Amino acid sequence: MSAEEMGKVTNRTRFVFAVSSLIFLAVLAISPLKDYGREWKQYKRSYLRFAQGRPDTKRLTADYSPNIDQIWLPGMNVVDRCTTCHQGITQATLGDKSVPQPFRAHPPIPHNVRDWGCTICHRGQGPATEVAEAHESTLAWEQPALPTHFIQASCGTCHLADLPQTPQLTKGRQVLAELNCQGCHKMQGIERPAMLGPDLSSVGTKVSREWIYKWLKEPRTIVDKDGNVTVNGVETEEEPRMPKFRLTETELRALSGYLSLQKAKPITPYKIPPGVVAAWSKNPELISQGELRFRQMFCSTCHSLAVTRAGETKLIGGDIGPELTKVGSKVNSDWLVTWLRDPESYLPHTRMPRYGWSDEDLYKVSQYITTKLVDSDLLTNIPKLDPPADEEVQLGRRLFTEKGCASCHVIEGLNPQKDFGPDLTALGGKNASELEFGAAKIQHNLVSYIQAKLQDPVSVNPAARMPQYDWNQADLDAVTAALLSMKGAPPTSALQNLVVPRKDTAFHPTGSFAEVYERYKCYTCHKFNGYGGDLAPDLTYEGSRAQRQWIVEFLKNPQTLRPTLILRMPQLNMSDKDASTLADYLSMVMQHPAVNPAALDTKQFTPAMASLGKQLYEVKYQCQSCHTIGSSGGYVGPNLNNAGAWLTPAWIEAWLKNPQALVPDSIEPRRNFTDEEIKALTAYLMTLRAGIKPQKTASISGARSSAQGAGR
Amino acid sequence: MRTRNLTFALALLPLAFVSGCRKQTAGAKADPLLAAYDSEPDWADSTKIVPLGYQEAQGKRIFYQYCVWCHADSTPAGPSNRSNLKPVPPLLNDGATLNTESDEYLQNIITLGGSAMGKSAMMPPYGRTLSAGEIRSVIAFTRAIAQPPYQPPGRPGSQYSAK
Repeated sequence: MSAEEMGKVTNRTRFVFAVSSLIFLAVLAISPLKDYGREWKQYKRSYLRFAQGRPDTKRLTADYSPNIDQIWLPGMNVVDRCTTCHQGITQATLGDKSVPQPFRAHPPIPHNVRDWGCTICHRGQGPATEVAEAHESTLAWEQPALPTHFIQASCGTCHLADLPQTPQLTKGRQVLAELNCQGCHKMQGIERPAMLGPDLSSVGTKVSREWIYKWLKEPRTIVDKDGNVTVNGVETEEEPRMPKFRLTETELRALSGYLSLQKAKPITPYKIPPGVVAAWSKNPELISQGELRFRQMFCSTCHSLAVTRAGETKLIGGDIGPELTKVGSKVNSDWLVTWLRDPESYLPHTRMPRYGWSDEDLYKVSQYITTKLVDSDLLTNIPKLDPPADEEVQLGRRLFTEKGCASCHVIEGLNPQKDFGPDLTALGGKNASELEFGAAKIQHNLVSYIQAKLQDPVSVNPAARMPQYDWNQADLDAVTAALLSMKGAPPTSALQNLVVPRKDTAFHPTGSFAEVYERYKCYTCHKFNGYGGDLAPDLTYEGSRAQRQWIVEFLKNPQTLRPTLILRMPQLNMSDKDASTLADYLSMVMQHPAVNPAALDTKQFTPAMASLGKQLYEVKYQCQSCHTIGSSGGYVGPNLNNAGAWLTPAWIEAWLKNPQALVPDSIEPRRNFTDEEIKALTAYLMTLRAGIKPQKTASISGARSSAQGAGR
Repeated sequence: MRTRNLTFALALLPLAFVSGCRKQTAGAKADPLLAAYDSEPDWADSTKIVPLGYQEAQGKRIFYQYCVWCHADSTPAGPSNRSNLKPVPPLLNDGATLNTESDEYLQNIITLGGSAMGKSAMMPPYGRTLSAGEIRSVIAFTRAIAQPPYQPPGRPGSQYSAK
């Protein structure tokens, strides 16, 4: 290579170097520019501009730094940079809706964001600094932010005990339990009760094969194309407990055949004495008398009937037991009488009390049910079914376990398949890639998956064995939230320690009380130390509240105390002995630790105190706005006409001091009474006495109207 | 030839940088109900659903436990106590009456009761039963469902703000 050529190469090299240095310079200039334009920096700057337009700029910018903000909680796996853009979340003045996002303040909740971070509740990708990366599901991070509508799910991940602040979650857990989802699925915090669906060991003694066929084909609930749910042709809001299984004709015949042969405990028909039958069978009043007794015994507290009023047919009554509009066409009449006399002989775990029937009442009521609560068209479209062939029975027996029937219903000698449905204890934390979406045209995320699967199980998995449920939107969303809350065991021990477990609410009385308590199934409606239903008052402190004699009289002849409450205590026809056993136990054992009726001397109340109390009641505090005395007053609190014979003075005093200390969710406000005023009011209330007169006029309409939208 | 390629490649390099720069993301379609903590049907028109934030939803819960008995026409248990009372208490969504009252006034009358504010003693004080925060949330719920809709008063101007 000559020197000249060498010079040429050098020149060219110089040129290349010059150009490339220029390019590198340009690149170097771009990167700070690019850095300046980062999404989070734009939000940082616009927050500054926003704060300068507000009157309290100084306070809003006190913590401002131009860098990334981060909440780092090593024990909880939290690295949240959300506050980089959401800069106003702790500023009380930025709470209202006119403040643009992402600067709006977080509403005041019981947890401080500095101690908890954001993603523990809202999910999403905490360390991300771009809007899409932080909120949406990406290839590298599959947990998108949770829609606020389901945010209560996050409360439920740690709070296994129900919270008042999360009604949707509580409702969802209740619906899951009511629909017996725990029959097939393992779920967090929902225990399997003693009985899910009814025991079918003797179902053949109760209903015919045709009825079973109809029930399996179309459980009395029908959903039309608009999603309206009807039970026996009447529209209702309730979710039916028995779902619809997709069964073929052969399967229907086989299952109905198999079930119609289940007669483990043959019934021994109870013969109503011929004298009673002879006296009443010809009486034209028989049926109307039966209906009257049916009402007076308050069957409708637990069972609903379709009632037509002013051209509108509604289901009216409770939902603890089955709806009974057409039960007369369903059950065998011998079975009915035996059942009414002693429900436990047929279903050991039933919630139905054993009433003390007189033969006359039993005859009247059973005649009413079998003549009036019927529908001759009930089985018209059902083929005539002969006694089943052996192969049908064998197939039916196999289907009973394979279809999952055995997971909720017991048949003697038949064991349910273990773990029939998938374990759902960690469903709420699943990534979209772990789920099967099949051919369903839905968004690929957990929320859409859960809702699609609940609404139509075969839409995401054609081979799904899960039956078809009918949902209204509120229940669907509530159940979705409850399922999203189940994220399995917390990943770190710091989180493990935060879990608030469900309270164990066992109540195991013993002795003669337990016998009566079991017989009348008090716990179906009442709570005892946290265990039992919530239809009727909690009886945990009944011994401090009510006088023993009043309890006895009430049990013998229940009456309503609260004019607004419609559901009522059934007339159990209790014997004197049973009533005093219950009253003794309640007044001895079910006491509030701070309220001892025996320790208070009633002689201290003078007529002067009582008249001062009357004045306070009527003028200063105007208690009549909520309570009724005589025939005037409000409907909110209990009627006080008989307060002197009903309540113990010790309870009244403690109650007036602080109602919520005795009944935490009582709506009676805690007032600022002086001790003297409390004594005077107690003295006045103790003078109120009325003979116990049964009121039998309460209507049962509206028993099912829910709190939602009740203001309408 | 090789040099030209090299130059070309170097010239492309910044482009590569720039191209990765901005990711256009489709704006999330915001369903107001999915972004709400809870909702309440408009009392006058049940087809209209009012989305509620956390605080308003807590107010709704407290309202349906404590206040619904006298401040609504129907209650979870059936008949309302409203017709028993004189003067008749306002419905909670009665914007014509309640929109003119300030948050502070409502906070006071709920906390201290009607008689303390020169109104009927039939309105009991809830200051010892509900916390101040709970009462604020009831007011927030009132504002959310008011008919005609509630307009918050203008924010007072700061004396320091630039004219």
